[in-house]
Amino acid sequence: MATRYEHYEPYEPYESYGDGHDAEHEGPYGTYGSHGTYGTYGDHGGHGVRRRRLPAALCEPVSGRHWRELAYVLLGFPLSVTLFVFTVTMLSVGAGLLVTFLGIPVLAAGLAACRGFGALERARARGLLGLQVRDPEPLRVRGRDGRAGLLAWMGAVLKSGTSWRHALFVLVRFPWAVFSFCVTVTVWAFGWTMLTYPLWFWLFPMYGGQGGLQLYGDAHHQVYLDNPFEITVTASVGLLVTLATPWIVRALTTVDRLLVHGLLGPSRLASRVVELESDRGVVVDTAAADLRRIERDLHDGAQARLVALAMDLGLAKEKLREDPQAAARMVGEAHGEVKTALQELRDLARGIHPAVLTDRGLDAALSAVASRCTVPVRVEVDLGAARPVAAIEGIAYFTVSELLQNVSKHSGARAASVEVWRVDERLMVQVVDDGVGGAEVSGGSGLAGLAERLDAVDGVLVVDSPVGGPTRAVAELPWRA
Amino acid sequence: MRVVIAEDSVLLREGLTRLLTDRGHEVVAGVGDAEALLKTITELHDEGALPDVVVADVRMPPTHTDEGVRAAVELRKEHPGLGVLVLSQYVEERYATELLAGSSRGVGYLLKDRVAEVREFVDAVVRVASGGTALDPEVVAQLLGRSRQQDVLAGLTPREREVLGLMAEGRTNSAVARQLVVSDGAVEKHVSNIFLKLGLSPSDGDHRRVLAVLTYLNS
Repeated sequence: MATRYEHYEPYEPYESYGDGHDAEHEGPYGTYGSHGTYGTYGDHGGHGVRRRRLPAALCEPVSGRHWRELAYVLLGFPLSVTLFVFTVTMLSVGAGLLVTFLGIPVLAAGLAACRGFGALERARARGLLGLQVRDPEPLRVRGRDGRAGLLAWMGAVLKSGTSWRHALFVLVRFPWAVFSFCVTVTVWAFGWTMLTYPLWFWLFPMYGGQGGLQLYGDAHHQVYLDNPFEITVTASVGLLVTLATPWIVRALTTVDRLLVHGLLGPSRLASRVVELESDRGVVVDTAAADLRRIERDLHDGAQARLVALAMDLGLAKEKLREDPQAAARMVGEAHGEVKTALQELRDLARGIHPAVLTDRGLDAALSAVASRCTVPVRVEVDLGAARPVAAIEGIAYFTVSELLQNVSKHSGARAASVEVWRVDERLMVQVVDDGVGGAEVSGGSGLAGLAERLDAVDGVLVVDSPVGGPTRAVAELPWRA
Repeated sequence: MRVVIAEDSVLLREGLTRLLTDRGHEVVAGVGDAEALLKTITELHDEGALPDVVVADVRMPPTHTDEGVRAAVELRKEHPGLGVLVLSQYVEERYATELLAGSSRGVGYLLKDRVAEVREFVDAVVRVASGGTALDPEVVAQLLGRSRQQDVLAGLTPREREVLGLMAEGRTNSAVARQLVVSDGAVEKHVSNIFLKLGLSPSDGDHRRVLAVLTYLNS
């Protein structure tokens, strides 16, 4: 259950919808939010915070996080100057040489180096700023005959948008790194110097008439910070600046974070591709699993029955002359086998895809599923005349069918209900039973398979099943008409 | 003939038992998975009452893949005198090759459908029990189709190919003659022609002959 918690929030709006939708279900809905598991969830944050003797703001200038950010900015300056000089040189030399063939390898080498710099910058941002940034999509080199030649590699580097984004990062980052470095060094040094002023003001040569820092001076007037009041004020200003420094540094590094995230991370398209690839994997896997299941069902069911039938008929054929009575009995048995085989084939075909689902939609198909459940099931489909696409209908049907099978097999329920309705562009399916509960969407269970299958079409399955019941499973699917 | 049956479907196990008992054979034991089969055979062996033949299904619990074939291979290694007939919903040339590895003595591999022809099926069980071979025509077809000796096989006349197929199934010359409705002499002539064309030395024993043919097809 806990693994699916992140999907819980979006259901809140449907709670109220559900109440209006069916007053009978007020009981289960009411317990939904107040169930123990969820109730304690929000409290975890409170225990995690360590008690501090000083307010957090006062500790900030000496906190580890501040030092790491400081190190990031200080390191960033020399690094960024070096990278900038290198990149600008390579790119301009490369561009200049483009009239000859030499320009292309130089440009490619420069861009490849930028990708390397990017990796370094990501590592720095991860280590010092704690930034969660994934590596961008790797270079795809497509050479002739499957062999990646040097030319193919250069082409790939030059064509890849990631390479150019990395180069852009180095160029944009340079002025910012210089600016952050100057501001940080100035503010930090000024703050600490002023703060510690009372400790070292005596170093000024009093005997020369200079009793402290000179605030103002011209030919006639000199203002020195030398009396206790002035020293206190100076130290206070230093304190304020020191306390402000972490926030200034943080603000400066925030821009770095955005730059690293935006220019060095994977593009949004690439991220979506990764997501879709995993979804496609699930789809392929479930399709393969379905085929295996169908093969198994055929092998153990109808096929075995038909073999037995053939055997019976073979024996009967042999007996026909010598022992007609035994033969007649065997034919009778074979007749029974045929009828059972037909029943099994019908069930199997219906399990693959019921014809009535295509012809008449979910409402009609679900009544048939409900009638086969071992407990009385109330079905309510509130979709009007609208129908989602066949694939979504199929998955909704399959979901209800699986959930009701669970109800039959494991729940020990006395009654169950199935509801299907639509919220905006989502198809909602809910199966409730009053059984023993304790169902889990954990790895390996049937429910986990169902959740994966729903996930593959951007759907979600939430199961609320406290031990002792009742069990409530809600599936949410995209509508797609 | 004393038989042990290993088949997970109770329906088929009962059917096979009835079929063999009806023909006057004794079914010593019926088990539902490969592990129980190996245990039963070991026990019977220790009692000195090893059966003549084991009839085993390929797919059995717990994994429902090739337990039967693996058990059969093991049994053949440990009890060379024991005939093993493997039954399956599908026949695969690869399984046949595994079963035949080393020796083709007392081994059979048939589609389950063959039980419908009661007489032929019981004949096959008896043949395997007495050290013969029973290969399903489909397996033989796969072996012939897959063989790397296609150019030599192409040199056979259609009738010779037919004889080669029946021979590979494990039939004796007289059984081949009966099947093709020709005289024994005619079959013998075809067989020696085949051996000549394939470059094999003719041998008298039926199972050695089968082995020679299968080795040739597999090479």
